[in-house]
Amino acid sequence: MSMTATRMLARDWRGGELGVLVMALVLAVGVVSGISAFTTKLQNALVQESHRFLAADAVVSSGRPLPDQWLRQAKIDGLQSAKTLSFPSMVYAGDDNMYLASIKAVSEEYPLRGQLTYGIEPFGETVPATAGPARGEVWLDSRLFSLLDVALQDQVVIGDQPFLVVAVARTEPDQGASFYGFGPRVLMHYDDIPATGVVQPGSRVEYRQLYAGSEADVKTFSRWLQPQLQDGQKALSVEEGQPSISNALARAESFLLLAGSLAVVLAGVAVALAARRFSERHHDYVAIIKSIGATSGAVNRLYASSLLLLGLIATAMGCGLGFAIQAVFFELFAEQLPVQPGSSGMRPYAIGAATSITCLFCFAWPPLRRLGQASPLRVLRRDLPLEGGRAISDYLLGLLAVVLLMWWYSGDWKLTLAVLAGLAVTVGLGLGLALTLLRGGRLVGMSAGNIWRLALAGLQRRGLANALQVVIFSMAIMMLLVLLLVRTSLIDEWQTQLPADAPNHFMLNIGPEEVPAIESVLSEEGVVREAFYPMIRGRIMSVNSEELVSTEDVEEQRRQREINLTWSDGLPKDNTLVAGQWWSAGNDQALVSLEEDFAERLGIKVGDSVGFLIGSQPLEAQVTSIRALDWQSMRPNFYLVFPPKLLAAYPSTFMTSFHLEVADKAFLNRFIRRFPTVTVIEMDAVVEQVRGIIEQVSAAINLVLVVILAAGGLVLVAGVQASVDARMHESAILRALGAPRRLILGSLLIEFATLGLFAGFLATVAAELSVAILQILVMDMRYTPTVWIWPLGILLGALIIGSLGVASCRKVVSVSPVTVLREL
Amino acid sequence: MIKCNNLQKRVPIAGHELEILKGITLEIKSGESVAIIGASGSGKSTLLGLLAGLDEASGGSVTINGTDLGTLDEDGRARFRGEHIGFVFQSFQLLPALTALENVMLPLELQGQSNVTEQAEHYLKRVELDARLGHYPLQLSGGEQQRVALARAFASRPAILFADEPTGNLDSRTGDRIIDLVFELNREEGTTLVLVTHDSALADRCDRRLRLDGGALVKE
Ligand SMILES: Nc1ncnc2c1ncn2[C@@H]1O[C@H](COP(=O)(O)OP(=O)(O)O)[C@@H](O)[C@H]1O
Ligand SMILES: [Mg+2]
Repeated sequence: MSMTATRMLARDWRGGELGVLVMALVLAVGVVSGISAFTTKLQNALVQESHRFLAADAVVSSGRPLPDQWLRQAKIDGLQSAKTLSFPSMVYAGDDNMYLASIKAVSEEYPLRGQLTYGIEPFGETVPATAGPARGEVWLDSRLFSLLDVALQDQVVIGDQPFLVVAVARTEPDQGASFYGFGPRVLMHYDDIPATGVVQPGSRVEYRQLYAGSEADVKTFSRWLQPQLQDGQKALSVEEGQPSISNALARAESFLLLAGSLAVVLAGVAVALAARRFSERHHDYVAIIKSIGATSGAVNRLYASSLLLLGLIATAMGCGLGFAIQAVFFELFAEQLPVQPGSSGMRPYAIGAATSITCLFCFAWPPLRRLGQASPLRVLRRDLPLEGGRAISDYLLGLLAVVLLMWWYSGDWKLTLAVLAGLAVTVGLGLGLALTLLRGGRLVGMSAGNIWRLALAGLQRRGLANALQVVIFSMAIMMLLVLLLVRTSLIDEWQTQLPADAPNHFMLNIGPEEVPAIESVLSEEGVVREAFYPMIRGRIMSVNSEELVSTEDVEEQRRQREINLTWSDGLPKDNTLVAGQWWSAGNDQALVSLEEDFAERLGIKVGDSVGFLIGSQPLEAQVTSIRALDWQSMRPNFYLVFPPKLLAAYPSTFMTSFHLEVADKAFLNRFIRRFPTVTVIEMDAVVEQVRGIIEQVSAAINLVLVVILAAGGLVLVAGVQASVDARMHESAILRALGAPRRLILGSLLIEFATLGLFAGFLATVAAELSVAILQILVMDMRYTPTVWIWPLGILLGALIIGSLGVASCRKVVSVSPVTVLREL
Repeated sequence: MIKCNNLQKRVPIAGHELEILKGITLEIKSGESVAIIGASGSGKSTLLGLLAGLDEASGGSVTINGTDLGTLDEDGRARFRGEHIGFVFQSFQLLPALTALENVMLPLELQGQSNVTEQAEHYLKRVELDARLGHYPLQLSGGEQQRVALARAFASRPAILFADEPTGNLDSRTGDRIIDLVFELNREEGTTLVLVTHDSALADRCDRRLRLDGGALVKE
């Protein structure tokens, strides 16, 4: 029996629908397991990536020396370790040059994760280093070379100890990004500290111990360490990664999960369609084998075993495809990922296999199960109607399966909901609209020419079947449009956020009198910069006259804290008001505008009054507006903005940001020599890294789009195929009666194109709804309706389905009608 | 052997019942060959389907070898067909996915018999198709396909062979050859034959003729 099953299966391959069924399954398994493996590995890589920003897997920091015993314990637990010490100190060069630098002493093992780089000329190219400075040597920040007027191989003095300058300090993995109190960096060896004599008890220092090892070992050690921590000793968290990258990647991950979920739905629909057609074609065969003695049990066993066999083959092929997909993705990423992504484990492939089983059981099996009930009487009467058709319970089962799969797969009910809403619209609107319009066509259509009459007659005769087809087509088109829209807005947003000339350097501590000079120097050099923003240090003290707690505990949201204030007549560039109103220019009242997250942390609303301490003077201001701003833009951004006249009396410095190409960076040497007190912070390496990763993510997204396009195309092919048999039969009769080829093809084209037009329209409506829900609820983006999608969706629908339909029915005009009629 | 008593068949059509068979009573003895004749639409195929247990009657009964088909469900009838009944149809009804040999093996496999290949080959040889064992139905002419169907019908050694216009899709010479084969095999195997036809010359070769008209048996 099973021998017969495989034979029948192999021969039936010719029928076409088995090919669609297998391909749909392979695609479903492949996309699901591939994307899931990719995201798993990407997440692993990102955890490691975030460790890079600590220069270790775990770090403890304290203002006092940390016990050496911890390092010994780390060694016992199989971890590597390193020590660092940071403190501010004067650096002297020659007789009259000195500057307050931010010194960091590191042991040989530093860094344990990530890359330390140096340079051989100020602001020059960066070179990866295997370790920090050797004993007796220092690396100086680019700025210090002009500030101290020294060159490589010169001597500088820290405390009691002279050091040889051997390199330019460029980047440290854990250098952080806080601007305030950013002295220029000096790197030295940890063991040289005692000789300098500058670190005394009570001085402002930060000791760190760094640990790294396997995940398990680090966990064991951290569990041991936690109870040992005393007041002032703090374990640093790994979550303080790169916000812009992790944000982009989080959205990309949402997109990938969405794509995977859509792939599941599309593949499910394709499988169901193919299985249904397969089952229809097999009714006759089942009648034959039943007439010669097969019971319905035997028939079911035959088809169940065929299905199982197909499922196994398709699952294996799908897992292979999934492996290939994630491999291609990582090939794209290889250069950008500083760490090896490691293995994804078997789970993604298990998810793929589960998808395949679900698709088979919920989509393919219901129509095939009906075969068991096929009447053997068909051997005598071929025109006997098919058994049962598809029951409502089948659709419900399929729908439930789709929802559960999507939910399980994406782990995100909002995302599931968004897609479901779109699907509901296509189904609801689709059936209603298609039925009424197709019916209405009868009244108007009759006076039309021959070709139209034929097409309309065809459309109307199969009214319900056509409506169902419109729904299926529009589902497929909708999902493709959703992906296309989300992809486009994601990539657009990234590109506007980080254009090629995005600011990549910050300039702080600009004295008010220096602003005009710097302005003219920058414009002479052709440097593109943002506006100059005044910056005043202040402290937030009270809200509505209620004193905030004074603590350094960052866990406490409502606490006093030091903060940068600025002033502006107009709403700063790229800020948007979310509440309240902006003041009119020239206003001198005590008003303030807050950033939305900051306001939320302190529980402040529009109309509240906030107390500040600026210098030693108190200031009470009323909140008139709350702003949203884009922290990912490399522009100066401020939590608190005041009217200019209000702050004019307080001492302030200015800041700005600007874009500089690598080739132009030598300019900074001249600049710093001329404006020695101005602090320049280089962010170009970070910006480049962000841009690089985002480019790769965009490439991956485009790749996924292509894969899903294939799945959508498959659904369209399966949908067209489903209706081809009946149409072929009619066309063959027409042709036998002498209808010219052009008439038949023309009316088929009109028929399918009309279906496509409806489908495209519904799909566009549903896609807009889905995308709106997705962007607002899931991706945390702003939603604006897309205009270009309307003509595109509708025309594409008509074009693709029209041509697919004609292509599938072409046989009817190229082969003799007798052949067609006999084969059917 | 075959007894049927007041056999009726009605189908609902557009709100009312269409009476296709209006109470047929007949008896066919073992080894007998009977022709059912009548105009197109007179209910011949419907009667054949009921006698062979392919369909359920709306009233009356069919008993074959003492088994009342009305007491069996569809699966029971399927097993009964497999063991006792062979078919030849106007449109051959071979499985296009299987070769000639596999088509003949199929009923034997379904019954779980052993050395099915030898048996199938034997019957294909009997219908002179031993050179075409590996061919698929679409590669065979109509006459050849009907011979494969004959081999398939006799391979399971049925007690009764039902044939519904077996020559209807064939030209007369090929049809005659098929009919010769049917009668030869029928004699060799000692089968009871029920043959539906509207060809009276063919009907004359049977032991007995039954004429259907408007769903009822009429005297000739
Ligand atoms: N299931 C059915 N539904 C509707 N009409 C049927 C059905 N079965 C048979 N008929 C009708 O009953 C009549 C007899 O059919 P049939 O037995 O095939 O006749 P014959 O084989 O003598 O040509 C025909 O008019 C046919 O259309
Ligand atoms: Mg008939």
